[in-house]
Amino acid sequence: MGRARKVFFRRRKVCKFCADKIDYIDYKDVKLLQQFIPERSKILPRRISGTCANHQRPLQQAIKRARHLALIPFTTD
Amino acid sequence: MRTYELMFVVDPRVSDEDVVTMTQEYRNMIASGGSTITAEENWGRRKLAYTIDKLNEGKYVLFYVSSETGKTALPEVEHRMRQNDKILRYLTVRTDEDLKRAARRQPAAGTTPPPPGESTSPAAAEIGPDEEEV
Ligand SMILES: [Zn+2]
Repeated sequence: MGRARKVFFRRRKVCKFCADKIDYIDYKDVKLLQQFIPERSKILPRRISGTCANHQRPLQQAIKRARHLALIPFTTD
Repeated sequence: MRTYELMFVVDPRVSDEDVVTMTQEYRNMIASGGSTITAEENWGRRKLAYTIDKLNEGKYVLFYVSSETGKTALPEVEHRMRQNDKILRYLTVRTDEDLKRAARRQPAAGTTPPPPGESTSPAAAEIGPDEEEV
């Protein structure tokens, strides 16, 4: 069976915000937010990023704000 | 007490002196509207993450605003910014509720219970020296 051998996908098992005790997700923290928008315009889905339900919403809001202010891109190309 | 952040991005072709003038006008409006500017950050010229009106850069300014009464001139300031085509972007964000919620979550996470009165300290304290890449 030689198919679908290796998928190099760094998968986080735990929510980064829970693990790092980040309770306030700042839209100005560009470096942090960029980790959640790796390709295209997509925000990383929770199943891949590991972000818990409690933190996903403020994360999405912070990303939306940062995008509006052109701090992070809508699309990467 | 309510706290807000107001960030705006100015056309990079506007001179620094004129940015100062514009900023002063907004500052005056906020101060006369019953709210206080507790801190201010001038990020200067910065690359935009995407082009706006064919521009690649903008000059970023950030106000931290607080209001005891919940009354502010921020809607008027936003209105003024909307009319100004030298303002590429602006955004007002209310921060006190999220900061309070975050402070409340801290003790549950385990170690240090925060001193009771201090969870509503100015938003500026949250930010610290943010390093910006040029
Ligand atoms: Zn979490």
